[in-house]
Amino acid sequence: MRTYLLNRLWQSALTLLLASIVVFLGVRALPGDPALAFAGEERDPESLAAIRARFGFDQPLLVQFWKFLTAALSGDLGDSTRTGIPVTSMIGSALPVTIQLSVFALLVAVLVGGATGVLAAVRRGRPAEWFANAVALIGLSVPNFWLGLIAIIYLAVGFGWFPASGFVPFTVDPVANLHHLVLPALVLGSGLAAVVMRQTRSAMLESLGADYIRTARAKGLSPRAVVGSHALRNSLVVVVTIVGLQLGALISGAVVTERIFALPGFGKMTVDAVFQRDYPVIQGVVLVTASAYVLINFLVDLAYSLIDPRIRVTGAAS
Amino acid sequence: MPLRAVGPSRTSLGAVAAALAAALLVACSPVQSTAPNAGAPSTDSFGTPVDTAKAKPGGTLTIALSAEPDQLDPSLSRSLYTRYVMHTMCEKLYDVDQDTKIVPQLATALPQVSADGLTVTIPVRENVRFADGTPFDAAAVKTTFDRNLTTATSPRRSELGPITKVEATNPTTVVVTLSKPFAPLTAALADRAGMIMSPTALQALGEKFGTAPVCVGPFKFAKRVPANSIEVVKDPNYYAADKVLLDSITYRIITDAGIRAANLRSGDAQVADTLSTQDAPALRGEQGIQVLESNSLGYQALTINIGNVAGLGQPLGDKGTPIAKDPRVRKAFELALDREGLVRTVFGGIHSPACSPISPDSEFTSPAAQACTPHDPAAAKALLAEAGAPVPYPLTVTVTNAPDALRLMQALQATVAEGGFQLTLQPVEYSSLLDQQDRGEFEMLQLGWSGRIDPDANITNFVGTGGGQNVAGFSDPALDALLTSARTSTDQAERVRLYGEAVTKLQEADPIVYLYRQRNLTGVAASVSGVQVFPDGVIRVAFAGRTS
Repeated sequence: MRTYLLNRLWQSALTLLLASIVVFLGVRALPGDPALAFAGEERDPESLAAIRARFGFDQPLLVQFWKFLTAALSGDLGDSTRTGIPVTSMIGSALPVTIQLSVFALLVAVLVGGATGVLAAVRRGRPAEWFANAVALIGLSVPNFWLGLIAIIYLAVGFGWFPASGFVPFTVDPVANLHHLVLPALVLGSGLAAVVMRQTRSAMLESLGADYIRTARAKGLSPRAVVGSHALRNSLVVVVTIVGLQLGALISGAVVTERIFALPGFGKMTVDAVFQRDYPVIQGVVLVTASAYVLINFLVDLAYSLIDPRIRVTGAAS
Repeated sequence: MPLRAVGPSRTSLGAVAAALAAALLVACSPVQSTAPNAGAPSTDSFGTPVDTAKAKPGGTLTIALSAEPDQLDPSLSRSLYTRYVMHTMCEKLYDVDQDTKIVPQLATALPQVSADGLTVTIPVRENVRFADGTPFDAAAVKTTFDRNLTTATSPRRSELGPITKVEATNPTTVVVTLSKPFAPLTAALADRAGMIMSPTALQALGEKFGTAPVCVGPFKFAKRVPANSIEVVKDPNYYAADKVLLDSITYRIITDAGIRAANLRSGDAQVADTLSTQDAPALRGEQGIQVLESNSLGYQALTINIGNVAGLGQPLGDKGTPIAKDPRVRKAFELALDREGLVRTVFGGIHSPACSPISPDSEFTSPAAQACTPHDPAAAKALLAEAGAPVPYPLTVTVTNAPDALRLMQALQATVAEGGFQLTLQPVEYSSLLDQQDRGEFEMLQLGWSGRIDPDANITNFVGTGGGQNVAGFSDPALDALLTSARTSTDQAERVRLYGEAVTKLQEADPIVYLYRQRNLTGVAASVSGVQVFPDGVIRVAFAGRTS
């Protein structure tokens, strides 16, 4: 087991090293000069040289990489070139916002999508299904940014039910926090809700036609128990897989939603950093994301090996 | 950051053609701000000082900003938007009033300049404290000057000019010594170079001063959420704290103009900067919302690559194209240009046509500075033929891929075709555009300049030989001589005359073809009193108050 763990740790470290090289070279492959992007309106050659010297852009790539790597290993991802704020504190403040938004959007998707999916399957061929299908079609076709604008125009400006922008941390005011997140979560969750609805509906239809459902009905179970305990439970496996696969899309959708509602999240920060060629921020963001992936994979593998001893043996042998 | 074309509006060939026809009837010398039938007239509205009978003390204000400020450090800041935020936290030695006249702020009078122009004496306030309690005096001013002048990455160094020495001769007097007379100094001190920083905070934070800036101001820094918001709170140490009504101000960054307008309407923000020219006409008529308008001091323009063959700062060369070699081809392009029509069709007549780097709202304006080449497509073609250039003359314009900039250039493409120019648009992402510009990899390029109070900062760097931003690679010793005289003269009337002559010279050579001047469009809710925006574009909210 120890050999296996060591092997996996070593592999993870190598993956992270490779990821950091890719990120480092990737940001430098972007067209455009970071010193120019930084300089703004005042960009005479003399200040550009000073800027390059200040941030070390004038040093050989290897030297720059070594500095970046050694600092990153000690937990220092550098300071944003644009604002001078440490990247670690930027990520620390932005990440919880995006996670909260994504979790809420996921809840919206599963609750709304699941309920309409079940409804559409149970009421197959009736107006309820047509309605659910129409809603799903709209959810799939309407882009986030447009839905966001419409939500702001009607629900924030028109009726004044929700704030049009901004964010209040949960720790400061839980009610205001939830109030501010309703619209963004609805907008972000809408696309995924449609996917969930479609999947739930088809999985439910398949389940409802299965033999064990006929058996359950024959046993005299109430329709509610048949649909809820038997058909839905078996359909959820498919739905959960799909939701897992769609999580990536949710995070990338958060970029747009965060911009529209001026939420201080991870996605908005990343996009702004790319446009401003803020190298330390882009590097930090990608490195942290990569580390999260590596860590999760490592934990999953670890869980597998605990469950299935054969994996441990293979690991030790390799 | 250089301004991009702002203010989308739908353009159609029909509209452009109609505009062209209308513009043929309108001689444009000198420039008028709007043509007839351009929709609602664009009248200046700077806002009024706070109505103390209505405004109550307390409350917060949210300002929707169109872009994120950079470092909140007066020595290092390079973003226009940083000025908006710093204005409430960091008072300057000088400020401007609504006529863009320079007035004292932390100084007590305009500077005294010696007869030879080499010694500038600035009297400063007494009994003033920084937000951290440190006393403000001439020595603190000297510390700020020294930091601005010695920090390698400080853009303030070039703004401050040829300073050789700064002394605090007594607690209320600062004496600046120059190696050459430098008239733009006072204007520089009415911008970020004049923001005085607390020496205690500078000592403690060093180059991280921008993460928690401390100055003299009605408000002091509270917190910043990166890429999202900046909050300032009332400073009890401020010398006129009794005049400050609001408890705090939050600057929230909302990059989309439509969403800024929606936030203003919903009441989530009480002030919104840089409204789009599409939203402004509707907002003007809405109850509970006021739109403040003024001409900016900047411009949007087309830069023609004349001699920038090896990159900025490198020796000039010969680009080889007829438009680079022959001023007649450039003049023909200007003749083919219908500024009035462009502004009317693309921006609903809200922005104003511009033919020079000097704003009509500047103290330095003159009839010569506002002269304009009339739109005359027939003359353009004739001049092209006279210069022996091919007709239609093919020309590639590099432009940012922002939708509004593209719309402007598409309209331009249609208008100059009539004058014998065949424009190809080359849209590139903004950072890449800056890169191509400085390397000289363009034929013609569209960008703007946000503008400064002193004309020197709007002209010399861009067209003076070897200027830090002379991306056109232009050089004209006669123009250089005029600009040097204007920068060293301390006589206002003389400077106005010299800049007028410089504009005439510029229009003979056309290294930069000025297109239009943006209007500062700021939305303000009726629940706030005392928000003002002058031509320098800074949203002045420090003494505003909530009325409800």
